[in-house]
Amino acid sequence: MKIETQSRRVLFIYGAVAVFLLCFPFINDSRSLLILFTQIFIFAVFAMSYDILLGYTGIVSFGHAMFFGIGAYSTGVFLKQFDHTMVVLILSVLFGIVFAGIVSYFVGLLSLRLKSHFYAMLTLAFAGLFLVAAEKWRTITYGNDGFTFRIPELLKDRMVLYFITLAVMILVFIGLRRFTESPVGRVLQAIRENEARTESLGYQVIHYKIIASIVAGVIASISGSMYVLTLRFVNTSVFKMDVTLDALLMTIIGGVGTLVGAIIGAGLIEFAHHWLTDLAKVHWIFERWIIFFGILYILVVMFFPAGIVGTTRGWMIKYKAKKIEKKQKKKHEIAG
Amino acid sequence: MDALITLSINGLATGMLIFLLAAGLTLIFGLMDVLNFAHGGLFAWGAYAGVWFYMTTESFLVGILCAIITGLALGFLTERFIIKPVYGNHIQQILITLGLMLVLSEMLKVVWGPNQLSAQTPSYLSGSWEIGNVILIKYRLFIIIVGFLVFFLVHYILKNTKIGLIVRAGVMNKEMVQALGINIKKVFMYVFMVGSAMAALGGVLLGPYSGVIYAEMGLEFAILAFIVVVIGGMGSIKGSLFAAILVGLSGSFMAYYVPALSLAVNMLLMAIVLIFRPQGLFGVKG
Repeated sequence: MKIETQSRRVLFIYGAVAVFLLCFPFINDSRSLLILFTQIFIFAVFAMSYDILLGYTGIVSFGHAMFFGIGAYSTGVFLKQFDHTMVVLILSVLFGIVFAGIVSYFVGLLSLRLKSHFYAMLTLAFAGLFLVAAEKWRTITYGNDGFTFRIPELLKDRMVLYFITLAVMILVFIGLRRFTESPVGRVLQAIRENEARTESLGYQVIHYKIIASIVAGVIASISGSMYVLTLRFVNTSVFKMDVTLDALLMTIIGGVGTLVGAIIGAGLIEFAHHWLTDLAKVHWIFERWIIFFGILYILVVMFFPAGIVGTTRGWMIKYKAKKIEKKQKKKHEIAG
Repeated sequence: MDALITLSINGLATGMLIFLLAAGLTLIFGLMDVLNFAHGGLFAWGAYAGVWFYMTTESFLVGILCAIITGLALGFLTERFIIKPVYGNHIQQILITLGLMLVLSEMLKVVWGPNQLSAQTPSYLSGSWEIGNVILIKYRLFIIIVGFLVFFLVHYILKNTKIGLIVRAGVMNKEMVQALGINIKKVFMYVFMVGSAMAALGGVLLGPYSGVIYAEMGLEFAILAFIVVVIGGMGSIKGSLFAAILVGLSGSFMAYYVPALSLAVNMLLMAIVLIFRPQGLFGVKG
């Protein structure tokens, strides 16, 4: 797969999309689209971090919202309790990263020794614990109602926020690509394919799984920090199951095991969310848009387990193979 | 002393409700090796269907029956259309049943509206007995009795009847049982339906116990059930009973004596069990 993703044409497309996104605010002055795109970038980062677990290591986590929430709350609390300056903001993001790293280390240590399904259940329970903590620790979190806070002057401009989130997304994309193609990333993929064999090759599987869980947790925390920056508000919903589900849907629909898939999935889901919520004015059933997503999701898992990117890639490979075959046939014909 | 008994009964009643949910979960997992994350959805559907029929017909028995039928029907549909294509693939099972969970809990809101449904205790089960200073609430005793009945029934069927024998043999070696002329797929389908019906029963019993039911409770209770299954050991009915009682009791005692810890106590229990016995208290290492 490596040869394919690194083909020049693909790199060219990535570059073109990046340039387009960089120019976008200057071409289009629709505010709501700008905000929607910012949202997509943030969730793309979150979905990519989830894909490190699900797509590259083959572990299902139902508690990824926990790390998103950690980032969200550390930024929110820091900006509220201290001062709304850039320094505090950066400190808060760093705090979130360190905290998410520690939590993911311990959660991983405690539960990654178990089989995949236990891990899924345990992460669900851990995330539940964080949700409860956020609801009960009212002096800092203001419970269920959440709180608003002020953000640094510079970030009040939507345009600046757009560029920052875009930059973070691109950086995370490049970083995670390097990570997945590094020796560690290769071992993770080996674990996904065949855990027992990887173990018998002498790799400490648990060790690598914990690394994956820390990387995923840290990146998710960054996306959480950015998320509350755009809202200037944080409440316990960041710890809810729905957040994890969003990431799951994005990766599955986009294509597990591909970082681009996570980005495309994030774009699709956010757009669909946007439109379907608008459609609620037309017919009340669209207010329950989760049903459509749920059904779509079940169908995708059943019939297109590779997602959009994976499926198209499969087609491309088949197409190329056919082309080569045809060429060879022609050669044979000429020779014969 | 009196407080101790009252707390124990409360804890036991909650524990039994969780047991009904966890038992179905562990039955399906232990026997069919299927992870059902939609179990909480089936539980919530049982609760809504049961309570709705109970409130309209004003007969609690009809409500219970309707819940069980709903559970059986949904179990059938789930097994047939959702689980069947993903047998043998854990990750796909987790993902697909989670999708189903989403659909189920949103469908609840479509059918019965987004608001919560309230349920009263039927007259013959409301009220309490007083023995000395100990107050025995009838409905809680009723739940405890139902829970134990279900446990003994399932245990008896699995250990002492021919059907149980077939199921256990099917777990050991599917192909062999199939070769003996028994349709093991059908047997597994029935197991799944029974597990779903148990969840639905737990749901409808919860109605009068907590007074209100709401769509999100499926997930809430499913988390508790998962914790119980992990503590008890995957696939062990006995383990689930024991762990459910443990979770119920510790929850009720902690809520009384150390309220601050009450929400975290389940997690702590699970963490401790996992550290010392990753396979669960009654689980078999494998």
